[in-house]
Amino acid sequence: MAARGLLLASFLLFSCFAETYGMISFSSLQRTLVVTASHRQGLLKGGEDKITVIWGLNQSFPAGTDSAYTTIGVKLCYAPISQVDRAWRKTDDRVSKDKTCQFKIVSRPYSNTNQTFEWTIERDVPTATYFVRAYAFNAEDLEVAYGQNTDAKKTTNLFEIQAITGRHMSLDIASVCFSALSVVALMGFVFAEKRKGRKAQQ
Amino acid sequence: MEVQGTVPETHPPKFTLQVDTEHKATEFRLFSMAAPHMRAFQLAWVSFFSCFVSTFAAPPLLPIIRDNLNLTSTDIGNAGIAAVSGAIFARLAMGTACDLFGPRFASASLILLTTPAVYFTSIASSPVSFLLVRFFTGFSIATFVSTQFWMSSMFSAPVVGTANGVAGGWGNLGGGATQLIMPLLFGLIRHTGADNFTAWRIAFFIPALFQTLSAFAVLIFGQDLPDGNFRGLQKSGDKPKDKFSLVFYHGIINYRGWILALTYGYCFGVELAVDNIIAEYFYDRFNLKLHTAGMIAASFGLANVISRPGGGIISDVVAKRFGMRGRLWTLWVVQTLGGVFCIILGQVGSLSASIAVMIAFSLFVQAACGLTFGVVPFISRRSLGVISGMAGGGGNVGAVLTQLIFFKGSKYSKETGITLMGVMIICCTLPICLIYFPQWGGMFCGPSAKQTEEDYYMSEWSSTEKEKGLHHASLKFADNSRNEKGRRVKAAALPTDESSPTQV
Repeated sequence: MAARGLLLASFLLFSCFAETYGMISFSSLQRTLVVTASHRQGLLKGGEDKITVIWGLNQSFPAGTDSAYTTIGVKLCYAPISQVDRAWRKTDDRVSKDKTCQFKIVSRPYSNTNQTFEWTIERDVPTATYFVRAYAFNAEDLEVAYGQNTDAKKTTNLFEIQAITGRHMSLDIASVCFSALSVVALMGFVFAEKRKGRKAQQ
Repeated sequence: MEVQGTVPETHPPKFTLQVDTEHKATEFRLFSMAAPHMRAFQLAWVSFFSCFVSTFAAPPLLPIIRDNLNLTSTDIGNAGIAAVSGAIFARLAMGTACDLFGPRFASASLILLTTPAVYFTSIASSPVSFLLVRFFTGFSIATFVSTQFWMSSMFSAPVVGTANGVAGGWGNLGGGATQLIMPLLFGLIRHTGADNFTAWRIAFFIPALFQTLSAFAVLIFGQDLPDGNFRGLQKSGDKPKDKFSLVFYHGIINYRGWILALTYGYCFGVELAVDNIIAEYFYDRFNLKLHTAGMIAASFGLANVISRPGGGIISDVVAKRFGMRGRLWTLWVVQTLGGVFCIILGQVGSLSASIAVMIAFSLFVQAACGLTFGVVPFISRRSLGVISGMAGGGGNVGAVLTQLIFFKGSKYSKETGITLMGVMIICCTLPICLIYFPQWGGMFCGPSAKQTEEDYYMSEWSSTEKEKGLHHASLKFADNSRNEKGRRVKAAALPTDESSPTQV
C-alpha cells in the first residue's frame, strides 16, 4: 500500500517535473478552443492588411474544462508548404522546441465569452502561407489546450501573406551611385598612373 | 660597397628598416607605418580584412535575410558554396595580374570592381539575386594572392613567412569579426526605427564603404616594390616588363605549385568550409541559442589573429636552423595534427570538449596556412604571382569540394562529415613528402651537392632572356635565399656567404 502510494507520488512528481521542464507534447493537448480568422480576399500585405481573429471555448466540451485556463495566446503559424526545406520553421511535438508559430498576434486573460481581435500584419512577417492557432495557458504559464482555424492536417483555411520588400528608392539610388563611383574612381587612378609613367619616361 | 646591377639612382634610397640587396626588409616591425615596407603591410592586411568582412557579412544576418528573400536551406547552401567558388579562378588570375601589373593595382582593381556586388546586396530581392551577389562578392577574397605577393616582394627570406602569416591571418580575421560586426550594426540601425527587412540592407553599406576606402588607401599610399611602383620602374627601365604567356608557363610547369595547391585546400579550404557550417553544427547538436552558436563560430575565425601569424613565424624560426627542409617538415606535422583534431572534433559529445577541440583544430589548421606561405615564395621567383594564385585557388577548390562531399544534403550527419573531413586532411597532406628542391633538399632527401640557388632560379629564364638582362631580380633573390640551406649545411659548404651578386 505504501509502496503503491510512493509509486503514484513519484509518477505524479515525474510528470510535473517533465511538464515544468517544457516537455509538454503538442499531441497531448486537447483541442478545446474554436478559432476563426477572417481577412479580405487575395494576397495579404505585410504592414497594411488586417486579420480579425475570433476565439472561444468549444461549448460541446463539459463544463469545467476551462477551469485551469488563465491566459490565451494567439499566434500566427506557418503552414506545411512554407516549412519545406526550412529547418528553422520545423514542427516539433515538444511545444517548447516547436518553431511552427513564431509570431504573436495577441495575448489576453481567459474569458468565458468569445473574444475578437483585429490584428494589423506586422512589417517583419515574411512571405509565406499561414494559419492561426490559439494556446490556452494555465497559471504556471504552461500550455494546457489549443485551437486553430485549420484542420488537423493544416490544409484548410490557409492564407498567404506577402512581406514588405524592405527596399526603398533611396537605398536603390545610393547603391547604384556608390557602385558607379567605385568604378569611375578606379578608371581615374589608372589614368593618373599612366600619366605619371609617361612623365617618368621623359 | 658598390652594388653592381640595375640600380639607377645616383644616391641609394634611405629605408627605415634594414634591407637586403633587393631592398627587401630583413626585419618586421609590427606597429610601424614606415614606408614602403611596413606601410605596404598595413595597407595589405586592412584591405584584405575588408574583403573577408564583406564576403562573410551575410551568414550572421541569415535569420533575417532568409525570411526577407524567402530562401530555403538549399538556396542558403548554394549561396555559401557560390561565395567561395568565385575566388578559385579569380585567385589564379590575380596571381598573373600581380606578376604583370603589380600588387597595388591588381588588388585595388579587384576590390573596386567587386564593391558594386556588396552595394547591390542591399537591393537583392530573390534567391537568385542573393546567390549572384554572394558569388561576385566572393571574388574579392582573391586579394589574398596580392597580399602574399606584396609581402613576398617587400620582405626578405628571414621574415617573409612572418610577414605573409600576419598579413594573411589578420585578413582572414575578417571572417570571424564580421560575425560580431554585422549583428551589431543591424541592431544599431534597427534601434533608429528601421524595419528588420530594411535594417539589414542598410547595414551592408558599411562593409561596402570600408572596402572602397581601403582600395583608395592602397592606391594613394601604397607602393608595389621597395624601389617604386611597377609602371614607373618599367618605364624608367628598372623593371623589365615580362610576357604573360611565359610567366604563366613557368608557373604551371612547376609541380611544387600543384602540390601546395592540393595541400592548401586541406588547411585553408577546410577553414572556409568550417566557417560556413560551424555555427549550425553547435546550434543543432548542443541546442544553443543562435547568438551563442554565432559567438563560438566567430571564435574559430578570430583564432587567426595568432594562429596563422604563428605558423609564419614558426616557419621562419625553423628555417634559421634547418632551412627549407625544416619548413617542409613543420608544415607536414602541423597540418596532419590539424587533421587529427578534426577527427576528434567529430567524435566528442560534450559541449566543453567540443569547444576545446575546435580551438585546437583551428590553431593547427590556420598555422598550417601560415606555414604553407612560408614555402610558396621560394618555389618560383619569375612566376611568384602564378604560384601564389595556384595555391590560393587550390584553397578555394578544397572549400568547395569539402562542402559538396561532406556537408551538402543529408548524406552524412555533420559529426560524421567532420570526422571524414579530418581523414581527408591527413591523406591530402602526404604529398608534401614529394616536394624536393635540388639546392635545399626535401623531407626525406638531402640537397644535391652540385645544385645552387642560382641554378634553380635561373632555370626559369632562357639564354636570350639572360642576354637581355631580364633575370637580374631573380639573381638577387637567389643570393638572398641562401639561408634556406639551414645553419649546419651552410657553415660546412661555404667559406664566406657574403657576396655581391655575381656579374653575368
